[in-house]
Amino acid sequence: MAGIFVYSEDLALAGQLLTPALDLKRSLGQPVVALTADAASAAALAALGPDRVLVLEAGPASPEALAPALADLLQREGAQVVLVGGTLRGKHVAAHLAAVLDAGLASDAKALAPAEGGLGVQRILYGGLAVSEEVLAYPAVVTVQARTFLPPPPSAAEVAIAPQAVLADARVQVTRVEQAAREGVDIAASQRLVAVGRGFRTREDLDLAAGLAGALQADLACTRGIAEDEHWLPIERYIGISGQTVKPELYVAAGLSGQVQHLVGCREAKVIVAINSDERAPIFEAADYGIVGDLYQVLPLLTAALAR
Amino acid sequence: MPQILVCFKWVLDEQDIKIRPEDLSLDTSRAKGKISDFDRNALEAAAQLVEAQGGRVDALTFGGPAVKNALKDVLSRGADQVLWIADPLAERADARVTAQVLAAAIRKHGPYDLILCGEGSSDAFNQQLPVRLAALLGLPCVSFAQALTVAGDRLRATRKLGDCVEEVETALPAVASVLSEMNKPRIPTLKQVLGAAKKPNQEVKLAELGLTPGQLEPRAVRVGAKGFVMNRKNILFKEPDAAANVARLAASLAAEGMC
Repeated sequence: MAGIFVYSEDLALAGQLLTPALDLKRSLGQPVVALTADAASAAALAALGPDRVLVLEAGPASPEALAPALADLLQREGAQVVLVGGTLRGKHVAAHLAAVLDAGLASDAKALAPAEGGLGVQRILYGGLAVSEEVLAYPAVVTVQARTFLPPPPSAAEVAIAPQAVLADARVQVTRVEQAAREGVDIAASQRLVAVGRGFRTREDLDLAAGLAGALQADLACTRGIAEDEHWLPIERYIGISGQTVKPELYVAAGLSGQVQHLVGCREAKVIVAINSDERAPIFEAADYGIVGDLYQVLPLLTAALAR
Repeated sequence: MPQILVCFKWVLDEQDIKIRPEDLSLDTSRAKGKISDFDRNALEAAAQLVEAQGGRVDALTFGGPAVKNALKDVLSRGADQVLWIADPLAERADARVTAQVLAAAIRKHGPYDLILCGEGSSDAFNQQLPVRLAALLGLPCVSFAQALTVAGDRLRATRKLGDCVEEVETALPAVASVLSEMNKPRIPTLKQVLGAAKKPNQEVKLAELGLTPGQLEPRAVRVGAKGFVMNRKNILFKEPDAAANVARLAASLAAEGMC
C-alpha cells in the first residue's frame, strides 16, 4: 500500500507532473499512478512512463466534484505522495484531498525531493519576496504549476490502464458555463511580452505599448492595477501572484515599478527589460537591461528602432 | 437573513520585510501587521451582502499574540463582532492546523449560513484553507468566486476559472472563497473607525476547543526561508539622450538574439 499519484484535469500538466513523480519513484521506490477522468487521455499518459493509469468513471463532473471520490481512492491505495496540477480547479481538489488524508499541502512547489522527515519542497513566501523550504510529512500533497517541469521522455513500457468507477459530489451544481473570451491570446504561452503599469496616464496611451509589441511580435500584459482597478486590459493579461505566471523569452516592463507581487509572475523570463523614469524603481533590480527615462519618449523611439 | 462568518489572517506586511544581504535571511523586526490583502475582499463581500439584504457578520481569526492588533481594523470594515484565538502555536501552524482550529471554533460558536475566506493569504498564499475548512465541517465549498448572492437558503456564485466562467449554486450552509477582483475593499470612514470601538470582540481560548496535540502539530513544517535574489545583468542606460539609450538597448537586444 503506497504510491506516488498524479492528477490534473489539464492533460499537458498531468504529463509534466510525471517528471517529478518518476524522480520520486527512483528515491522512494514506490510505483507511479496517473489518475485521469478523461478516458481519451489515458493512452497519452500511459506513454509517459507511469506504472499504472486509473481512469475515473463518473460521467460528466467537474474535477472539484470528483475530489471526495479521489480522496477515498487515495486513502484506500495508501498514497504517500499526491501531485496535483496547480490550476485553480486543481488547487481546490488538492486542498480537499489534503483535508481528508489529514496531510500537509504545499501549493505551487518549485522543487521536490525526499528530505529528513518527509518530502522537501520549495515554494514562494511573502508574494515572492522569499523562498521557503518546507518538509511535508507523508502522506504529502503538492500542487505544481504548469510549465514548472517538462514532460518526461516517452516510454515504450507496457502500462495497465484500468477503469475505476467513482461517485461525483453533487452538492455544488454548475448551472452555466461560459468559455472565457480568449481573444486568441494565451499570454502564459507567449514567448514575448510587453507589460504595462501605472506609468501610463490614460488607456489610449497603451497604444504606445501596443506599437512596441507589434515591432517585437509580442503580446501585451499588465499589472494588477491596470486590469483590476483601471480595467484597461482584461484580467487574463495581468501578471502576478494571483494572476498569470509567465516564462517568456523576452519581458519588456514599461511604466511599472516592479512590486514583488508582480515580479513573481515574470521573473523566470529569459531576458527582462525595464523602462521607467524612476531609477530607484525595483523593476531595475529585476531587469537585465533598463532605460531610465520617460516612457512617452522612449517607447516611440524604441518601436522605431526595432521596426527597422 | 444570513449569518455570515469571515475568516481572516493577520500577516506581516511584506513591504516592511528586509533581506539581510550577508545571508539572505529575512529581517521582520520592523514589519507591521495587516489584515491579509485577500481577506479584505472577503470582509468587503460580507459587508456588501449584509448592506444589501440584512444579516450579520462575524469575523474569526487564529494568530499569534499580535492578532489583537487586528480587532479594531476588522470591526471597522463591517464585521459586527470578532472572535479571536491568540496562541504562540499559530506561528508555526500550517493550513491543516489552522483549519482544525477554525473548524473547532465554528462548531462551538456557530452555526453560520455562509463562511467566507479570501482566495489565499498574502504571506504564504497556499490557497487551501477554505476548502479544508469546508471538508472538516462537512459543508460544500465554492472556491474562487467572482460574484456571490444569497437567495433564501441558496448560495449562487460566479466562479472564475482559468479557461471559463462558471455559474454555480449550492445549499447553505456553505463555504466560499472570493477572488480579489470581486470588489474594492473599503477604506474605513472615521465613523466606521469610531464605531468599531463599540463593537464586541470575544477571545476564544485554544485550550477550550478540545483539539488533540496531534491536531495542532503541523504536517508542513517550514525549515528555512531565504530572500529571493534576482540574478540579472542589471545593465542600465540612463544618459540624458533618450535616443542614445534606445540605440544601446536595441543593440543589446540584437546581441541577445531578440530582434
